[in-house]
Amino acid sequence: MKISFPYMGVPFVYKKVLELLGHDVIMPPRPSQRTIDLGVKYSPEFACFPLKVIMGSYIEAIKMGADTIVTSGGHGPCRAGFYGENHQQTLKQLGYDVDFIVFDGWRDNIKRNIQNVRKIKGKNSIFKVYKIVRLVYQMLQVVDSLEMRIQTLRAYEKAKGTCNKIWDAIQRKLDEVETKEQLEEFKKYFYDQLDRVELQEVAPQEKIRIGIVGEIYVVMEPSINMQIEKVLGDMGVEVRRSQYLSQWVEHNMIPFKKTHEDEILKKGEPWIEISIGGHAKQTMGHIVDYKQQGFDGIIHLMPFACLPELISQGIMPKISEELDIPVLTIPLDEQTGLANNLTRIEAFVDLLKNKKNNQHKTAVIA
Amino acid sequence: MKIGIPRSLLYYYYYPLWKNFFEELGVDVVTSPPTTKKILDLGVRNMVSDICVPIKIFMGHFYYLMEKELDYIYVPRMVSIEKRKFFCPKFMGLPDLVRHTIENPKKVLRPSIVAKDDNIALLENFLPLAEPLGKTKGEIKKALKKAETAWLHFRQLSKEGYFHQDAMNIALGKVQKENLPIYQGGEITIGLIGYVYNIYDDYISMNIMEKLQQLNIKVITFDMLPENEIERPIKQMDKALFWTFSNKLLGAGKHLFRKNQVDGIIHVTAFGCGPDSMIGKMFELESQDTQIPFMTLRIDEHTGENHLQTRVEAFTDMIKRKKV
Repeated sequence: MKISFPYMGVPFVYKKVLELLGHDVIMPPRPSQRTIDLGVKYSPEFACFPLKVIMGSYIEAIKMGADTIVTSGGHGPCRAGFYGENHQQTLKQLGYDVDFIVFDGWRDNIKRNIQNVRKIKGKNSIFKVYKIVRLVYQMLQVVDSLEMRIQTLRAYEKAKGTCNKIWDAIQRKLDEVETKEQLEEFKKYFYDQLDRVELQEVAPQEKIRIGIVGEIYVVMEPSINMQIEKVLGDMGVEVRRSQYLSQWVEHNMIPFKKTHEDEILKKGEPWIEISIGGHAKQTMGHIVDYKQQGFDGIIHLMPFACLPELISQGIMPKISEELDIPVLTIPLDEQTGLANNLTRIEAFVDLLKNKKNNQHKTAVIA
Repeated sequence: MKIGIPRSLLYYYYYPLWKNFFEELGVDVVTSPPTTKKILDLGVRNMVSDICVPIKIFMGHFYYLMEKELDYIYVPRMVSIEKRKFFCPKFMGLPDLVRHTIENPKKVLRPSIVAKDDNIALLENFLPLAEPLGKTKGEIKKALKKAETAWLHFRQLSKEGYFHQDAMNIALGKVQKENLPIYQGGEITIGLIGYVYNIYDDYISMNIMEKLQQLNIKVITFDMLPENEIERPIKQMDKALFWTFSNKLLGAGKHLFRKNQVDGIIHVTAFGCGPDSMIGKMFELESQDTQIPFMTLRIDEHTGENHLQTRVEAFTDMIKRKKV
C-alpha cells in the first residue's frame, strides 16, 4: 500500500503520521501550475478551486506510484464534504485504480470510520497509535508557534529573505524528527535561529498587522494563495491567519475540549447566527477577534463562488464599517491574475498605513 | 397587519403553505410581482457579484418589498428538512445576509425551519411568529393545520401531473380542478431537472416550460415524481449529497435516466451553483452509461433568450430525428 494525501499547509506532518505507522508514503509535490492545469482539466468547470487543485495533486501522486489516498470527508453542507466522492468517481473514470480512505465526521459514518482506522493502523497497537498521534500533535504545536514568530519577524528582518530560509529549513528538518527528544532539540535550535535574526527598528505607530481569514484551503496553502504571507511580510506587514493545523486538530479531534475555535464561533454569532458550513461563521468570528487584538486590517481569501464564503462576503461591508476595520476580499481560482491581486494588496497596505498615520497625527495634535 | 413574501426561491415550493398560514391568522399577504428586469437589476446592484442568480433575484424581490408599506418581510432561515441534510449554505445564511445589508433589520421575520421531511408545518417552526404577530399558540396551531392541508393538496396535484403554475392555481382556489386538464402532449418526453426557483421563474428560465410545450414535448420535473422513486437511487450511493433539494434533483435525474421513461434530460442550472457543479458530473456519467442524451442549460442574468431557444430546439430536434 503506497499512501498519499492532499497537500495543504505543513504537509510533512501527515507524512510523518503515516510513516511512523509503518506505511510507504508518496509525498505529493507542492501544487504547481502543472497541478492546477491537471486539476482543472479533470474537474467540473464550476467546482470550487480547492477541489481542482487537490484533483491535480492526486493525479501527480498516482503517477508517482500512489495506490491509496487518505483524506477527510466532512459532513457538509459545503462542497468539501463531497470531494472524496467526486475525486474517486473521476479518477475511476480516468482509469486509475486507487483506494480511497475517507474519514468523515465521526457520527456521520461510524462503520466506515472504524474500517478506515483499522486500515491505517496496520499492525500497530492502539497505544502505539496514540503515542504517534500525540507526538505529531506536539510537532504541530511547535511548528505553529515557530511559524507565528516568523510571521512577525518577517516584517522587520534586516536582510530580506532570512525568515523564509529558516522556514524552509524548519520544514526540511521536521522530516527527520522521530522522537520527543529530537523534537525538543529541533525546537531549541530553531528558536535560537530566530532569536538571531537581525531586525530593523520600527516605531509602533508604523507597525501594520493584518489578519488573514477565509476558507481553510486557500488560507493555509501558500502555493495557491500567491504566497500572500511572504508577500505581506516583505512589505513590512505582520501577519496572522485564521487557521493553524494544531488548532484544527485541537478543535476537530480532541473531544470535549473547550477550544480557541469555540470562542471564535461565539464571536461570529452576531453576524452569522448558525453554522452554515465551511468556515463562514469562523471568518466573521476571526474578524471580531483580530479587531479586539488591535489588528489594522483583514484580508479575506475565498475560492471563487465558495458557497459559505459568499455569505460572509455579502456581510463584509457592514462588519467592516461597524468595527472600523478595513477588509479586502480576494476570490481565488485558476483564472487568478497575480499582478492584479498584488496591486490590490499593495494598495490595501498603503491604505492601512495612511489610516494609521493619520490617526497617530490626530492623536499627537490632540 | 401586512406581511411581504418575496416571489423567489422556495416561494415556488411553499407558497400555498405560507399564504394560508398568514391569511388564516388574519394577516394580509403581499407578494412581489413576477420577476422583471427591474427587480433583477435591483438585486444585482445590492449583492456581491459572484453570488448565484437565484440569490440576486431574491434580493431584488426583497428590496422591492422594502419600499412597500409593510409590517414585516418574511425571510425564513431554511436549515434542514431531512436528517443530516441541509439547504445550500446560501439559504442558511440568507437572513443574516438580509439583516446585515438593510437599515431596519427589525422588519424581517426570520424563523428557523427544521423538519424531518418536506412537510414543514410544525409548531416548533412557526411558534416563534406568535409574538411578533400577536397571536396565541392555539391560533398558530389552527392556522398551521389549514396551511398544511393546502400545501399537501398542492404537492398532490404536482404528482398527478399538473404543471407547477396550474397546481398552484388550483391549490390556491383560483381555478377549479375540473376546468383544467392535465397537459398530455408529446412526440417525445424530456426530463427537465432544475430547482423550482430556476425553472418556474419565467423571467430567468425564459418560459422554458412553455417553450417545450410549444415544441410538442412532454415534460417531467422532479416535483411530479413520487418521493420514494426519487429517494431510491440516492440510497444506493455510498454517500449522498448534503443538500436536500440537490439530492431530489440528483435522485429524479438518476431515476429518469435508468427507467427509460424519457428521451432526453435537460439540467437547468444557475451560473456558479455549487451543488449543481457536483450533480452535473454525475449526470454526465449516467448519460454515458445509459446513452440517453443530456444537456446542461446554464442561466444567469446575462443569458439571452435566443441562445436558450436555439439550444433547446437543437437538442430536442436531435432527439426527435433519432426517434424517427
